[in-house]
Amino acid sequence: MAMLAGERMVAGSKSARAAGVFAAIETNLMAKVLLIEDDSETAEEITAELTDRGFEVEWSSNGIDGLDKARSLRPDAMIVDRLLPGMDGLTVIEALRKDQVRTPVLVLSALGAVDDRVRGLRMGGDDYLTKPFAVVELIARIEALLRRPVETRETTLRVGPLELDLIERTVKRGERRIELLPREFRLLEYMMRRSDQLLTRAMLLEEVWNYKFVPATNLVDVHMGRLRHKVDGPGDTPMIHNVRGAGFVLRTLP
Amino acid sequence: MATSESIASREEIGRQELMLQVGFIRSNTFRWASAVAGVLAVFVVVLFGFIYWKIDQYLITRSDRMIAQQIRYIAELPPERRINAIEDHLAQDSRSVQFAGLFDPKGNLLAGNIEQLPEGLEIGAPVRTVKVARAERKELGDPLVRAIAQRLPNGDTFMIGRNVDETGEISHVVGEALALGLLPAFCLCLLAGAWLSLRAQKRVEEVNQRVQRIIAGNLRERLPHRNVDEPFSRLAAIVNGMLDEMETMITALSGVGNDIAHDLRTPLTRARLTLERGRTNATTLEQLQEVADKAIAGIDQSLTIITALLRLAEIENSRRSAAFGSVALHQMVREVCDVYEPIAEDKGINLGVRIADDLEVRGDRDLLFEAVANLVDNAIKFTSAGGRVDLELAREDRETIVRVTDTGPGINRQETEAVLRRFYRSDKIRNTPGVGLGLNLVSAIVKLHGFRLVIHPGPGGRVEIISPDGKLN
Repeated sequence: MAMLAGERMVAGSKSARAAGVFAAIETNLMAKVLLIEDDSETAEEITAELTDRGFEVEWSSNGIDGLDKARSLRPDAMIVDRLLPGMDGLTVIEALRKDQVRTPVLVLSALGAVDDRVRGLRMGGDDYLTKPFAVVELIARIEALLRRPVETRETTLRVGPLELDLIERTVKRGERRIELLPREFRLLEYMMRRSDQLLTRAMLLEEVWNYKFVPATNLVDVHMGRLRHKVDGPGDTPMIHNVRGAGFVLRTLP
Repeated sequence: MATSESIASREEIGRQELMLQVGFIRSNTFRWASAVAGVLAVFVVVLFGFIYWKIDQYLITRSDRMIAQQIRYIAELPPERRINAIEDHLAQDSRSVQFAGLFDPKGNLLAGNIEQLPEGLEIGAPVRTVKVARAERKELGDPLVRAIAQRLPNGDTFMIGRNVDETGEISHVVGEALALGLLPAFCLCLLAGAWLSLRAQKRVEEVNQRVQRIIAGNLRERLPHRNVDEPFSRLAAIVNGMLDEMETMITALSGVGNDIAHDLRTPLTRARLTLERGRTNATTLEQLQEVADKAIAGIDQSLTIITALLRLAEIENSRRSAAFGSVALHQMVREVCDVYEPIAEDKGINLGVRIADDLEVRGDRDLLFEAVANLVDNAIKFTSAGGRVDLELAREDRETIVRVTDTGPGINRQETEAVLRRFYRSDKIRNTPGVGLGLNLVSAIVKLHGFRLVIHPGPGGRVEIISPDGKLN
């Protein structure tokens, strides 16, 4: 939460900044998202934000109706509040999974209510976010869920001139060899698997550093700074971009 | 009014319940005392009976032995001295309990004080009880005696016996002793029971009054406690200890409440002011956006504090030692170092790591990582450029120690305890950003593991997490 201080994006697609960040979303244009949330004000805000970013949003205010819609509408992703009238959010997900519905889910859970059951969601490829959250965090995570990296047998990842060999554990940019520390390697691998995608600091902390807590120091920035220094040499076109108030993105286009 | 009435009636109900309880305790104690008295009485009666039986047996055995000796002695005398000996023997018997008779083969009494050989007395058999007929003073009746008979070499039959009526006297004595000892003992038991139950009742009533005062909100009240080693006092001491702890906790809690209020109010006030000013003064969209950004920052800071508090509560309340596993500290320490190396370098601080050995402890890896990371984070934060921070994993005195030292200002002696208080921030570091819950979190994690957190006074920061051996949570 600390690193989100003062970094929230201003709402609305009018913002040129946001348009840039989420340009990649166009690949998911008209992706259908089902929102199950009982608080109508929160739901309205989320719906507005998602619609602005090109998503088609369906809203359901309780668990039973939500489950029906999830079955009939076949959304591409779902945002489910943990506490719902009628049927608990996790129960909805369990019911869907029993029907072999594999729609990725982002669970919204109250602060301090993140128990093992919610944490366990990450195992199934789903994700969770604690309330209150920054909108940019929600969008980034939904996007990440929609574009889950495909498990390839490729042992080499390529993004533009960047090449990462998973077996040899070497990285090259064009002909230039890049020496990375193990953690930097992991960070770059994670980013290359999700190129053109906004990665928030919280996501990186959870996935790359395996942190279950938010450290006081903004260590993501420091580590990212070093990685960027190594990847984007002098004269190179920058590939790692710091998106102010949001996070980082790896892309070939300037 | 209604509320005070309902409180009064609730108190009344409480009192009635207590009186019932007191009655129960009294009757219960008293019943116990009576039962003990009853058991005691039965026991004493059995004991006395046993004593009587034993003494009786002993006397009979002894008199049997004497009779056997006497008959042998007289039988061995030459026949001419026998009659004299028998008469002497009877003459010496002042209590007239001795019986003897020497009969010729025809059955005529030659000497002695019985008329004839008693029926059922077998010659040459061991001593037995028979009824004899007196030769003189027949008015005394035929007594039951222990007797033995023997055929003498000259054909005469000699019989000797002894009255064992003394056992009757003994039973009389025993009965008297029983009455003298048992009755007072029984009464004493009942009295003691009554006294004990009365005393218990009094003390329960005393405790009740104090407890009522505590319920009414007087947290300073304690249970009556005498400095003696008896159950009631010990119980009172235990409850008082609990009350002490609770009082401290409640005081601390209200203190924490104040701290939270203060720490939340600061950023919220700032956000509110920003919004208020922005609403009046902002003329362009950019200005308004800037204001909104600042306000959001303030709100986010408040949320950060709440998150930290909730997390603290989560750790403090968790009993998840079941999820504990073996944690390779050497790997973990190295990892913390990896993560913080670039940060230290950016600040111009030398971060060193010393690992004595491959050491493992039982615990929750993520939490321990968080604790050590927090300590290193703090150390880097409070050390200025050019300084050093050292992370050390050592074994000393059968203890595994994770030690973080730095060349920063450290914590002075007066503050070593204060830093563990929530939101405590030393005046010297007021301007360093942070929530002020870091060490609380470390402390909570350490406590959950049953480890020790030692903060050494400065100059120079030195904090240790100590895991004693053989400590399985």
